[in-house]
Amino acid sequence: MGFWDTITDLVEAATPWATADAEAPAKELPEETTTESTKEEESTKSETETAAAAEEPAAEEEPAAEEEAEEEAEEEEEEEEEEEPVDPKEEIEEACRNSKQCSPAKHHFDECVERVTSAESEGGAKEDCVEEFFHLAHCATQCAAPKLWSVLK
Amino acid sequence: MLARSCLRSTRAFAGLRNGAVHISKRAASSSSSGSATESPLRLNIAAAAATTLAAGSIAWYYHLYGPTADATAPAEEGLHPTKYPWVHEQWFKTFDHQALRRGFQVYREVCASCHSLSRVPYRTLVGSVLTVDEAKVLAEENEYDAEPNDQGEIEKRPGKLSDYLPAPYPNDEAARFANNGALPPDLSLIIKARHGGCDYVFSLLTGYPDEPPAGAQVGAGLNFNPYFPGTGIAMARVLYDGIVDYEDGTPATTSQMAKDVTEFLNWAAEPEMDDRKRMGMKVLAVTTVLFAMSVWVKRYKWAWLKSRKIVYDPPKTNDIAPRR
Repeated sequence: MGFWDTITDLVEAATPWATADAEAPAKELPEETTTESTKEEESTKSETETAAAAEEPAAEEEPAAEEEAEEEAEEEEEEEEEEEPVDPKEEIEEACRNSKQCSPAKHHFDECVERVTSAESEGGAKEDCVEEFFHLAHCATQCAAPKLWSVLK
Repeated sequence: MLARSCLRSTRAFAGLRNGAVHISKRAASSSSSGSATESPLRLNIAAAAATTLAAGSIAWYYHLYGPTADATAPAEEGLHPTKYPWVHEQWFKTFDHQALRRGFQVYREVCASCHSLSRVPYRTLVGSVLTVDEAKVLAEENEYDAEPNDQGEIEKRPGKLSDYLPAPYPNDEAARFANNGALPPDLSLIIKARHGGCDYVFSLLTGYPDEPPAGAQVGAGLNFNPYFPGTGIAMARVLYDGIVDYEDGTPATTSQMAKDVTEFLNWAAEPEMDDRKRMGMKVLAVTTVLFAMSVWVKRYKWAWLKSRKIVYDPPKTNDIAPRR
C-alpha cells in the first residue's frame, strides 16, 4: 500500500501533464508531510524487510530485530543532527585540506604562516599569506564541492 | 636576386681593393674562383647579423610592450569562486522550489534587514515560492502609500499582491549611514550582476574564515573574505548554523542556508528560467520536426529532377546525305 503510493507519487510528479497548484494547502500541510514521511519510512522498512526475507528465507527473528534496532538508532541520530546542525562544508573542507591532493598548498601555507608570525614577533612582517591562503582554499573547495553537494539538500 | 647582387658587389669590391693578391690567389687556385670561397662566409656573417638584429628587435619589443603589467596582487582581485554542481543550472533542470521556499525564508529572516529586493513584487512569488494566501498575508504585514483621499492627503494602506517587497532603508544615503558608509546592494539581480554568479554568492556567504591569514591587512570596520575583491568586505558573516528554523525540517547548516538563498536569489534574478528552458525544449522539438519535414519535401520536389534520364540519341548517319 505505502510502497505503491510512493510509486504513483513519483509517476504523477514525472508526468509532463502534472500541474502544481498555487492554491493554499491550508492547515493540512504539516499533516500531509508527516503522513508522507511515515509512508516513506514504512515503504523503506517494508523494502528492507522484504529484501531480508528474500536473502534469508529461513531467517530467524534476531536479524530482523537487529535491523529494526539499527533503524531506530539511525532515526535517533538524524533527530540529534536536527537539534544541533553541524556544517558539513567545514568538515569536508578540513578533510580536503589535509588530503594528499592539497598537501603542497597546505605545506606552503603552513610555512608562510610560520615565517610571517615569527617575523611579526621580531618586528614588522613585510609579507602576508593571502596568496598561499588562496591556493589552499581553492584546492580545498575544489575538492569539497561535489562531496558537499551530495550532502546538501 | 639579392644574393646575386651581393655576390657581384663583393667580387667587384675585392677586385678593386687588392687586385694583386686576388690575382695571385686566382693563379694559385686551380679551378674554383677565390670570390666563390670568400662570399659564403660574408653571406653567413650578413645573415647571422640580420637574424640577430631581427631577434633582438623582437626581444626589445617584447621587453617594452610584451608582458602585461599587473599592478594588482591576487588579493585585490579576490579568490575566484569554485564551480559548484548546481542542479538548476543544468539544461533540463528547473529550480528546486522547496529550496526557493527555504531560500526566501532565509532572505526574509536574515538578509532583508540590510538588503532590499526592490524589483520583486509579491505576485511573482505566488506559484513559485509561496501560495496565494501566504503571499497575501506577507504583503499585508507592510504598509504602503494609498491613493490621495478627499482632502488630498496620502494615507497608508496594507500591502497587496501587486506591491513590491519593502526595502529596509528609505534611500541609499540612509543605508550608507546605517552601515558605516557601506551600501548593501540590492539583491534583485545580484546573481547576474556578479562574476561567478551563484558560485560567487555561495562562496562569499560561506567563505568567511575563522581568522584572516597571517599578515593580512584588514581595514577598520571590514571583515576578511577571500572571495570579495580586495578581501576586505563591510558585511560580516551572517549565516551561522541553526540561525533559521526551516519549516520542512531541513537541518539549517550554514552551507545549506547559503545554497538555498543563492538559489532563491537566482530565481529573483531570472524568474523566467523554468519557462525559458521549457520554451527551448519546445523550439528544439518543433524545429526537428520541421527539419525532417523539409528533408522529405525536398526529396519529393526534386524527385523528377533526380530521376530523369537524359539520353543523347545521335542521328543515324545513313539517312543523311554527306555534305560536301
